Amino acid sequence: MSFTRITRRGFLSASAASVMLWPLASRGQSATGGESRLVVILLRGGLDGLQLVQPYGEAGWSGLRAGLALTPETGLLDLDGFYGLDPSAASLLPLYRAGELGFVHATAGPYRNRADHFSAQNMLESGSGEGRLQRTGWLNRALALIPRSAGRRAIDVNASMELILSGATTTDSWTTQADTSLAPDEVDMLARLYSEDDGFSRTLAAAMPAAGSGNHSAIFDPQRRAAGIADMARLTGGLLRENYRIASFSIGGWDSHRDQKQLFARASADLSRAFLALKEGLGEEAWRNTSVLAVTEFGRALRLNDHGGTEHGTGSLAIIAGGAVAGGSVMGEWPGLSHDALLDGQDLAPTTDVREIAAAMLYQQFDISIGNIVSKVFPGLDFDGNSIYLRG
Amino acid sequence: MTPSFSTIASRRFGYGMRPGEDAPDDVDDMMAQLPKAMKSAPRFPREGITGRRETAGRLLSVRAVEAKAALDGRPNVALRKETQKEADRIFERDALGRITQAVYSPYGFYERLATFWMDHFAVNARKVYETHMIVPLFEAEAIRPNLAGPFSKLLKAAILHPAMLIYLDQERVEATANEPEAPGAPALNETLGRDLLDLHTMGADAGYSVEDLRGVSFILAGLSVDNRSLEIAYRPRGRTNGMALFGRTYTGGSDDHQRMLEDLAVRPETARFICRKLVSHFISDDPPAEVVEPMLAAWTESNGDLTRVYRAMLDQPRAWSGEMSKVIPPFDFVVTGLRAFELKPGEFQALAKAMESGVGEEAMPMTGKGVMRDKPGVARALTIEALKRMGQPVWQPPSPAGFSDRTDAWLSPGQISERIGWARMAARALGRDVEPEEFVEAALGDGARDVTRELVLAAPTKVHALTLALASPEFNRR
Repeated sequence: MSFTRITRRGFLSASAASVMLWPLASRGQSATGGESRLVVILLRGGLDGLQLVQPYGEAGWSGLRAGLALTPETGLLDLDGFYGLDPSAASLLPLYRAGELGFVHATAGPYRNRADHFSAQNMLESGSGEGRLQRTGWLNRALALIPRSAGRRAIDVNASMELILSGATTTDSWTTQADTSLAPDEVDMLARLYSEDDGFSRTLAAAMPAAGSGNHSAIFDPQRRAAGIADMARLTGGLLRENYRIASFSIGGWDSHRDQKQLFARASADLSRAFLALKEGLGEEAWRNTSVLAVTEFGRALRLNDHGGTEHGTGSLAIIAGGAVAGGSVMGEWPGLSHDALLDGQDLAPTTDVREIAAAMLYQQFDISIGNIVSKVFPGLDFDGNSIYLRG
Repeated sequence: MTPSFSTIASRRFGYGMRPGEDAPDDVDDMMAQLPKAMKSAPRFPREGITGRRETAGRLLSVRAVEAKAALDGRPNVALRKETQKEADRIFERDALGRITQAVYSPYGFYERLATFWMDHFAVNARKVYETHMIVPLFEAEAIRPNLAGPFSKLLKAAILHPAMLIYLDQERVEATANEPEAPGAPALNETLGRDLLDLHTMGADAGYSVEDLRGVSFILAGLSVDNRSLEIAYRPRGRTNGMALFGRTYTGGSDDHQRMLEDLAVRPETARFICRKLVSHFISDDPPAEVVEPMLAAWTESNGDLTRVYRAMLDQPRAWSGEMSKVIPPFDFVVTGLRAFELKPGEFQALAKAMESGVGEEAMPMTGKGVMRDKPGVARALTIEALKRMGQPVWQPPSPAGFSDRTDAWLSPGQISERIGWARMAARALGRDVEPEEFVEAALGDGARDVTRELVLAAPTKVHALTLALASPEFNRR
C-alpha cells in the first residue's frame, strides 16, 4: 500500500489551485482577550466524506457509486455547482449559506492503513505522525501553550477516556447521560455478536424498537440517541458561553459496513442537530468567536460492498463551523475520482492534512506560536504560519 | 472448543478472571481456597462482628427509648429519622463492601459459595429497621464461617440467627414470658416452619403432612429474638408428650429446636434437595444425575460434610464440559466485569468514602481525570444502582426463596439492555488505558469465541470494543 505523504508543496499547490483554502476569518478580525472558543468534534467510526458532500460534478459520479450517489435531480442539495450536500444534513444548509459552516474535502489524518479504528483514532487524537505515537492528546498539549490563561480552560464532555484532551494539563470533564443510546453501527455489531447464540439473538431482537411495542429500552432508541447528542452539544455550548474556552466531544455511528444508506442518514442527522444545538447553547455572541472542527479517523472506500455498505478508506472531509470561520464553501484540493487519482485505486486520495486545519485554528485563535505548534502540538507537521492565506 | 480448566474454574465456579490473580489449575487449588478464605474477615460488616453487634445494640436502644416516649405522647421524630439514616448508611456501605469483597477476593469459589448459601438462606436487609444492620452480620457470622463444614452446623447457624427469625416474622417477644400453649393451638405462625422445610432442608417436592408442618412450627414457635440485644431464646411452648416428627420424637426439652434442625439436616430428602440445587446453580438448570449422584454418596458417607460434597461435584467430568448453558445473574455480571478492568483497590475505597460524605450525583463538571475518585455518581451507578436496575439489589432478595439463578430469569430484553448500558458506562469510566485486545483476554481468556475477538478488534470505538466483550454471550454465560 503506497503512502501519500501530504507535503508542504502539496498543500501549497492545493491552495493555489482552489479559490479559498484558508478556513478561518482573518486573524485581525478574530477575538482577543480570551474570548476565542474552539470545539473539536471527533466523528468516530470513519465518516464517508463522499456521501456527506458529494462531488456530483465529477464525471460519471452516479455510476461510480450506484445506489448511494445523488445529484441535484435526485435530492442532493447543491452547494456550489460541483459539490452537493446529502439531504440527511439539510438542516445545515442555512449555516452554510450564512458562511458559518464549510467543508474541507479530501482530508485525512496521518493514518494510512484502513485497518483499525483504534490506531487511526489514536493518531488523530494524539496528533502523531506515522511511527511516532504520542501518549497525550494534541489538544491537551496545545492548552499549555496558550499564552493567556483565560483561554486555557478546557472540558472533555461525556467521555473520560478521550485521548485528545488527555495529558499533563488538567482539564475538566463532564459526564452526561447523553450518549447512552447505541449508534446504528454499534447495534449492527451486537446483532453479529449474538448471531451464533439463539437465546441472545432472540432477546436482542425483542429489545429492539422494531419489535413494535414502544416498550424498548432507551439504549436502542434512536430518538433518544438523537436527543441525547443534541443535549450534549447544547450543554457544551453553554459551558463555552460561560467559563470554558476549549471543548471536545465525540459522535459515533459512521462505521457503515452495511446498509450505509440508512446508517449514514441517522448519523448525519444526529451530527446536523449537534451543530445547531451547539450554536444555540453558545448564543450569538459566543458563537461569533467560536470555531468548530469536526474530523474523523478515516474515510471510506469509493465502491459499495456486497452489504450495501462501504469498507474503510482514507480521504474524508472535515467540517468547520462557527462565527470565526470563513464558511460557505467547500475548500481543499479536489483530487478527482478517476482510477489513477484514487489512493491505491480504492478511495479518495487525501490532499489536506487535518492537523493543518487544527494548527491554523490554534495559531490564529489562541496565539500559539508556530514554533510551538510544529514542535509540541503537532511534532513534524509542515506548517507555515507566514503563508499568505493565514494572514488573510 | 472447550475452554481450559482455569477458565471454567474462574467463570463457572468463580467470579471470573482478574489480571494479576492466579486462576485455579486443578480441583485441589479450588478446594484449598475454602479453609484459607474462612480465615480472612470479609469487608463487611464494616466494624467487624463484635463492633456491629454493639452498633446495632446502641441504635436499637435509642429507638426503643424513643418508641416508649412516643407511646407516652412524646415522640422524637428527628431522632427516629436520624437513626434511620444511620442504618441506611451502614447498610449502603456494607452493600458496597459485599461487591468489593467479591471483586478483590482471590478465593472465587468460596465467594460464589457464600452467595449460593445467602440465596439458600435468603434474608432481606430492607425488611425492617434491624435487618439493615444484621443481614451483613448474618452473612459474616452465620454463613461464611460455616459453609464448608457439616450442613447441620450451617443450618443451625442460619436458622437460629436473629436476621432469619426477624425476616421470616418469627414471633418476637418483649422481655415478658409467654404463656405455654398446647400443640395444635390456633394462630401458630407456620411461615418459618414452611420455609424451613420447603426452602432450607427437604424441599417442596419432598412431601410432608400437615401434622409434620404443625409439629415443626410448634417447636419453632418457642424461638424468640430479644428486640434490643438481638439474643435468641428458646422456650418450649409446652410439653409434647413425645411428639413424633418424621419418625423422631421430641419431648418439649430445651434443645428440641437444635435436635430438630440436626435431624432435618441429615434426612435424605435434604441431601438430594441441596445437591441438586448446587448443581443447578453452578452447572445446569437441569442438574445431570451423573453429577448429583456422586455428591449424594459423599453426603451420605460424610453425614453432610459440605467440603466432601463440593469436591464430589468438582470431581465429575460433566462439571467441566464446554456447554455454557447458564446465564450469569446481575451480581456476577457486575463483579466479573469490574474484575476484568483491573481496578486498583484504592478506587473503591475512595468511592465508598465519597458516597459516605454525600457527594452523590455530580452536579458540576469534575476536575481532573480520576475515575472512581472523582465520580462517585458514576461509581455508584456502576455498582449499587446497577444491581438495583438489573433486578438483583445486594441483600434484597424478592422472597425467602432468594434470587433466581435460572437462565430464563436473566435472559430478557430489559436485562440485556441494562447489561449493554452498564458495559458502555464501565468502558467510558474505567477503560481509558485499556487496550481492547488485552481486555478480551482479561475478561474471557480462552473462553472468547473467534467472532467476539474479530468484532472487538473491528469496533468503531474503543468504548464499543469493550462493550462488545462485556455484552458477549460467553461473558454472560457460564
